Amino acid sequence: MRRDFLKGAAATFAAVTMLANGGAVFAETAAEFYKDAKIKWIVPYKPGGGYDEYSRMIAPYLEKYTGASVEIENMPGAGGMKGANEIFNSPPDGLTIGIINGSAMVTNQLSEIEGASYKIADYNYLGRMVADLRVLVVGTNSPYKTFDDLLKSESDVVVGATGLGGSTYVDAVITGPAFGIKQKVVHGFDNSGDVRQAMLRGDVTAMWGSLGSAVQGVADGDHVIVAQSDVERSPLLPDVPSVFEYVDALPNAGEIKPVLEAWDALNAVGRPVAAPPGIPADRLAFLRDAFSKAISDPEFVGAMTKAERELSFVDGERMGKIATSATNMTPEVKKLIVAAVRGEI
Amino acid sequence: MTIIEGMTSGFLQSVSLGVIPYLAVGSIFGLVIGIIPGLGGHFAMAMAVTFLYTMEPGAGIAFLLGAHATVAQGGGLTAILFSTPGTGQNAATLLDGPPMRDNGRAGVAVGAAMASCFLGATFGAIVLACLIPFLRDVVLVFGPPEIFVLAFLALTFVAVLGKEDLIRSLIAALAGMLLAMIGLDNVTNTERFTMGSMSLSDGLSLVPVILGLFAVAEMFELWAKGGALARGVDKPLSARETQKQIFEGIGLAFKNWWLVVRCSAIGTGMGLIPGLGSAPAAFVAYGHAKQTSKSPETFGKGNVEGVIGPEASNDAVEGGALASTIAFGIPGSSSMAILLSGLFILGLETGPRMLNQNLDIVFIMIFTIIIGNLIGTLVGMFLVNPMSRATSIKSEFMVPVLMAIIITGAYATDRSMFDIGVTIFFGIIGLIMKILNYSRSALLIGFVLGFAVEKNLYLALLLKGPFFFMQPLPLALTIFTIGFLAYNVVMIIRHRRSAASPLTARKPNS
Repeated sequence: MRRDFLKGAAATFAAVTMLANGGAVFAETAAEFYKDAKIKWIVPYKPGGGYDEYSRMIAPYLEKYTGASVEIENMPGAGGMKGANEIFNSPPDGLTIGIINGSAMVTNQLSEIEGASYKIADYNYLGRMVADLRVLVVGTNSPYKTFDDLLKSESDVVVGATGLGGSTYVDAVITGPAFGIKQKVVHGFDNSGDVRQAMLRGDVTAMWGSLGSAVQGVADGDHVIVAQSDVERSPLLPDVPSVFEYVDALPNAGEIKPVLEAWDALNAVGRPVAAPPGIPADRLAFLRDAFSKAISDPEFVGAMTKAERELSFVDGERMGKIATSATNMTPEVKKLIVAAVRGEI
Repeated sequence: MTIIEGMTSGFLQSVSLGVIPYLAVGSIFGLVIGIIPGLGGHFAMAMAVTFLYTMEPGAGIAFLLGAHATVAQGGGLTAILFSTPGTGQNAATLLDGPPMRDNGRAGVAVGAAMASCFLGATFGAIVLACLIPFLRDVVLVFGPPEIFVLAFLALTFVAVLGKEDLIRSLIAALAGMLLAMIGLDNVTNTERFTMGSMSLSDGLSLVPVILGLFAVAEMFELWAKGGALARGVDKPLSARETQKQIFEGIGLAFKNWWLVVRCSAIGTGMGLIPGLGSAPAAFVAYGHAKQTSKSPETFGKGNVEGVIGPEASNDAVEGGALASTIAFGIPGSSSMAILLSGLFILGLETGPRMLNQNLDIVFIMIFTIIIGNLIGTLVGMFLVNPMSRATSIKSEFMVPVLMAIIITGAYATDRSMFDIGVTIFFGIIGLIMKILNYSRSALLIGFVLGFAVEKNLYLALLLKGPFFFMQPLPLALTIFTIGFLAYNVVMIIRHRRSAASPLTARKPNS
């Protein structure tokens, strides 16, 4: 009890000196706080899968730079929302953090889905691990080789998707009609692996997905990437056209472009690492610093590069801005995106 | 790397000093996790993944997969001795395992189960090895139309499962399918039967439902009745007697080798199909064992074939389940998804690159399944004696302890308090079903397969139109299913007639 009081007093003292002297003294106290502490890192999905892999890969490096032990806790439920709620509502002591599905949490908030007890703009972000670069792939066993082939297709292109309103579905129903692709979206698959298997069998022709879920199939020669979602071509895919390169040629480019931009802004939210609102400023600064060191640790970057897992780090402050700006869209665009997420298109 | 090179290198690595200790630790760990009710392969792997960072690829993969390969073995022990499924795939073992224990033949049941597990796992692993050259083609045989018909075929096995009558089994199976509908529907994005609860919107998880239906219901009953868990047995078997029985059980598994092979084939085949899981495989194997047995009427009363069948198949699943994971990096189950994460942490690729360049890793997996199960069998035998003594402890002591373990197991998988409520709720349902003579196994099969049936029917209709079953393979399977069902209906009617005739009058079904 008395010790806690002293600690609190020290923190207050440190906070006061911080205002006067800048960060030096401050970081020291936060470092002391985290030394041998236990950080709970929430993964809002089951073990296995991208979010879990990214978390488990970076955990040892975060331990290295914080001095704390990092314990991964999987908390699946409600499409990642249960974990996101849990992070948001956990005590703001800086000992609970986690990775969230940023894009989905933004769209959940926009569509005012029930059960969301978070505000995407109010999280304290430590940074973003990876943006959700979306790619359109077609099976190598299909007659289509490029995005132009799809645009010119006379017959329906069968696009596989997971759940109605899931991200693979939203991608398809936003881009398909925008570019006038003749397509039939077949949804109801369990996960992107399930769609991939259907594509290998030739049951479906194409699918949207994250770059991370597509790389293995590309390397194995199962499918090719024909389009990407970023305004600028990603450095990882210099030869794949962005859908934005096709917008200006459309007769109704003025209407389509804001929709695609809103979609791109959503994807940019990607997979941020978040902490609840209200954690002490010194600890937040310390965590942000440790996270940025961990994610740029050469050993970590090397392992991720070898495994072909993309990283696109932005720092915590910038991440906050990206998340906030993703929620800003014109009423017409918002209506369209919400309709896509609800599966009403 | 040729197959022979890969096999030799894989074998040498598996038994090398750098790998075998990890394999042994992993297998024993898996065995123990399997013994604890509610904790299954998924949980064992999620725990094991945490230790991978500093391991060499070969050691890591042996450790991880070893932990997954032996859980069904441990679970079988719990099922037979404590009437509690250690993992989901052991639910079918409950039909004949505990009755054998009550007949004073616990050792035989456990010995047969352990040996069948080992034989089944070996079968699955060998099939996987033989399939390597055409692994990719084999996995792609199964699309939505095929999976729909197969899941439906598996469903029809409820007709032959229990000692309960057919109508009640069908009611239970359909109720199970309705339970599977709970939650957010992938197809229409609507919530079904959730009553506005966010916890229900993800649907019911398998583990708490199984624990409730079988384990908790059993505890309630035991509590009400009093006495020891093993009924009809005056005093625990002596160590010597248990040992003798175990060897008798092992002998029986080898003697019924043809049954083991057929049930293993069912397990491996169903393991190849994504999304079906291993619990239905064990039930189908049980149904098959019962149907082909010379004395089907003794099933449910402690027939060793009713233990051998499901235990062989639930370990043979492993070989099949690995196929799509290795061939394409597409996990067919949540456990395989963790395995992929583990491979990722170890820096290994799957798919053609693994089949071409890292074939030795594939063979390490294959040998891990075989050696891991062998270790599991050996260690498991030493656990039988102390565990079987516990079955004679009075229920006043036993029930609280087991309940605490069961509730913890229900909570641990997803760390969800809600699951504890689900477990207790289904405990009450299970008890009521048991008293009213409704088949809990049928309910479970309906629950497990309901989702697969619905999803694949929808996809098959969308992809291939209303006559999706007219393609060669689905058509053949459909005809087989109808034939199987017709045969059973005829047999049941004939059985009822003979039962109704005065000469062979017997106690009517209550």
